[in-house]
Amino acid sequence: MKRSPARISQLLFLLLFLGLFVTTEYRGKDEIFAAVNSFFRADPLVLATYLLAAKSFTLLLLPALLVLVLTLIFGRFFCGWICPLGTILDLATGRIVKGKAPPWLVGKLKYLILATLIGSAPAGLNLAGIFDPLALLLRALTFFVHPLVGDAARTGWVGLYRVMGDSRDYLAPGYALLHDYLLPFRESSYPLAVTSALLLLTVIFMERYGKRAWCRYLCPLGTLLGLASRFSPVRRSPGRLCGDCGECGNVCPTLENGKMPESEECLRCFACQRGCGRSRVRFWFTNPLRFREFPFLPARRVLLGGIAGGLLFARGLRWKSAEARERLLRPPGVRDEADFLAKCVRCGECMKVCLRSALYPALFQAGIEGLYTPLLVPRLGYCEYHCTLCGQVCPTGAIPNLLKGEKEREVVGKAVFDKNHCLPYARKSNCIVCEEHCPVPQKAIRSRVVESMDLSGKKVSLMEPYVVEELCNGCGICEHVCPLEGKSGIEVFGVKDKSPIAVAVAAKPAAKVKSVDDDPYR
Amino acid sequence: MERRDFIRIMAIASFFSPRMVGNLGAKELPVVGVATGTDYGKITRNAISAVGGMKRFVKPGDVVVVKPNMGWDRTPEQAANTNPQVVRAVVEEALAAGARKVKVFDRTCNDERRCYANSGIEAALKGLHNVEVRFIENERFKKVSLNGEALKEWELYGEVLSANVFINVPVAKHHKLTGLTMGLKNIMGVMGGDRGKLHKQIGPALADVNAVLKSHLTVIDATRILTDHGPQGGDPADVKIMNTVIASTDIVAADAYATTLFGLKPADIPVTVAAAKRGIGEMDLKKVRVIKV
Repeated sequence: MKRSPARISQLLFLLLFLGLFVTTEYRGKDEIFAAVNSFFRADPLVLATYLLAAKSFTLLLLPALLVLVLTLIFGRFFCGWICPLGTILDLATGRIVKGKAPPWLVGKLKYLILATLIGSAPAGLNLAGIFDPLALLLRALTFFVHPLVGDAARTGWVGLYRVMGDSRDYLAPGYALLHDYLLPFRESSYPLAVTSALLLLTVIFMERYGKRAWCRYLCPLGTLLGLASRFSPVRRSPGRLCGDCGECGNVCPTLENGKMPESEECLRCFACQRGCGRSRVRFWFTNPLRFREFPFLPARRVLLGGIAGGLLFARGLRWKSAEARERLLRPPGVRDEADFLAKCVRCGECMKVCLRSALYPALFQAGIEGLYTPLLVPRLGYCEYHCTLCGQVCPTGAIPNLLKGEKEREVVGKAVFDKNHCLPYARKSNCIVCEEHCPVPQKAIRSRVVESMDLSGKKVSLMEPYVVEELCNGCGICEHVCPLEGKSGIEVFGVKDKSPIAVAVAAKPAAKVKSVDDDPYR
Repeated sequence: MERRDFIRIMAIASFFSPRMVGNLGAKELPVVGVATGTDYGKITRNAISAVGGMKRFVKPGDVVVVKPNMGWDRTPEQAANTNPQVVRAVVEEALAAGARKVKVFDRTCNDERRCYANSGIEAALKGLHNVEVRFIENERFKKVSLNGEALKEWELYGEVLSANVFINVPVAKHHKLTGLTMGLKNIMGVMGGDRGKLHKQIGPALADVNAVLKSHLTVIDATRILTDHGPQGGDPADVKIMNTVIASTDIVAADAYATTLFGLKPADIPVTVAAAKRGIGEMDLKKVRVIKV
């Protein structure tokens, strides 16, 4: 069978999505020229919650505005031509046995979900990403599929070494090709990996309740586009199945109970037009007022209920101010927690791109409302000083896209020594691995030489490290490299005042070997 | 066998008797080649020539490991990593001497991709045939018995252990804990495990490793040196241009000479002292023949 233009477009966009997913990784250049964020920037649901939550507009989301306008004219084409999750469902549906959808699923539930998501936005909580189809797919790929594939490949590669030894080198170019272009550089495992995968599987599993059941019964982006689609003047005629044929009913992806879908559910895939043996079906501009099967907005009760629920959700979930959680370390450049929660769509891209695998999805560390938002966990990975990738791929600017020099000065938190653990203090032995690694040229960690007594009473000369708070940007490399097992001797804690550290002034007249006596902080 | 042949063979063999070799060694002081100039490729070659040329170390068909310091996400001007031009010259010399393969790597402190790229070393070696610039792969580390003072055993990189020739190409720079870091400490880049743990007794630990893992040739990059805030630096004010490359088969002597460029004495650097005490090399510069070119 010849593939329809809609299907070709679907496959191309799915390939594009996967391609961009793979390019969302450091590949030797400081700048990533194309990342999977393009999809989110074209996501009207992201646009809607961003506008309401951040109460501002960003040019980053211009493509989403365009998609919304096009939907108002042409209907819900995004779902039938572009959405990669929809494509996956279309590809999978043939293998899934169909059954009857439970009654609670059909009908108003999707409006309630959408209204709740949108309703919580004005209160500053951006929940779009939790059920956004693109985010669902991306998170499952980022947290589960890609690490799993990477880990399997790595395990196989290491296994080959055990078997073949150095003669494995003959195969190295092949593995390098895979590793350089397809596999993740580091195979980190993420919390919520299984949850993310299960969510995606559930969406696919829903196909048993009919073709595109997720899209028709739950998807908040689909619901939003469907609402916009109610205004669309481009309609199918005839409006129902013809009595003498009904052939197109077999090809329609969203046919419901033998009825042609309303404009809201029609994905504008034109399968019926192509499938019509009698050339009766056409899509063309019609006065939408003539087709008022139902009002332009869903029932008032659903709408108000959802919005009230959203408000309640947004306020009720916040039982404790986020700043009170001392280990709440956000990606660099995020200065205000409330602003961040208003803008972050939880797509997971920053975590995907993070060079050192330092960012992880929050479970409840940021409160229930912070589920899936990115957290820096220094013990697992640190923020690389010169790297600006997370800001580059953030689709909404929740993590600002900063220049190298700016980002280096952004404060994630401040490092604090724990003298009960830190080796020179607690064990009276020299170390200062943290000072060595501190990337700030003037050193935010310094040390002074102290004559002391070791634990056996012998006189020793010790380098005792300390933090220069004004220079510390909280990148966490000190905590990451601390050679102590388990708890680090130095830890980064969140701070309220995240004003950037002062520009490093290269005021020293000439290079000279300095002794500790010159140190002003001594 | 003819009697005459037998006498001839005996005569030749006597040159190789331990006593003869020992006498030769006693007469010859360790040589340190010091080349200065602004063409860094050229002075690297000159320094190597001064200690006998690359052909003395690399035989045709050898696998050679060239181990620069590229541990930090810093640019060449910041003097935290070995100068890429120096690395390239060493690699080219090894290839010219007939090396079958030259492997260049370092176990980095920052992200390896950024270190390899921003040190300029990956780019400097691009396009050279039979040169491998690959990231460290953990499975290649092998536990090696050191039976040393501080370390009984440690994991060392298999590529180094299996190579015919190991060329140590550090940058000379300040190091907060050890005073300076040069050849002896550059060896840490082929060590596995938790290297931070070594800091407790770094001098003896490094002597232990260097006693087992010999650098056949040490080429110290002092084209520009980092005089403070090492090992990472970052502030251009800490960088001093020296236009110097030092080469020696005696790693301790090379380090000792490089130390003087900072206005310090070899005895100021505990790592050097510990290695000299262990008999790895000569730190007394009066007992070293310095050839300046």
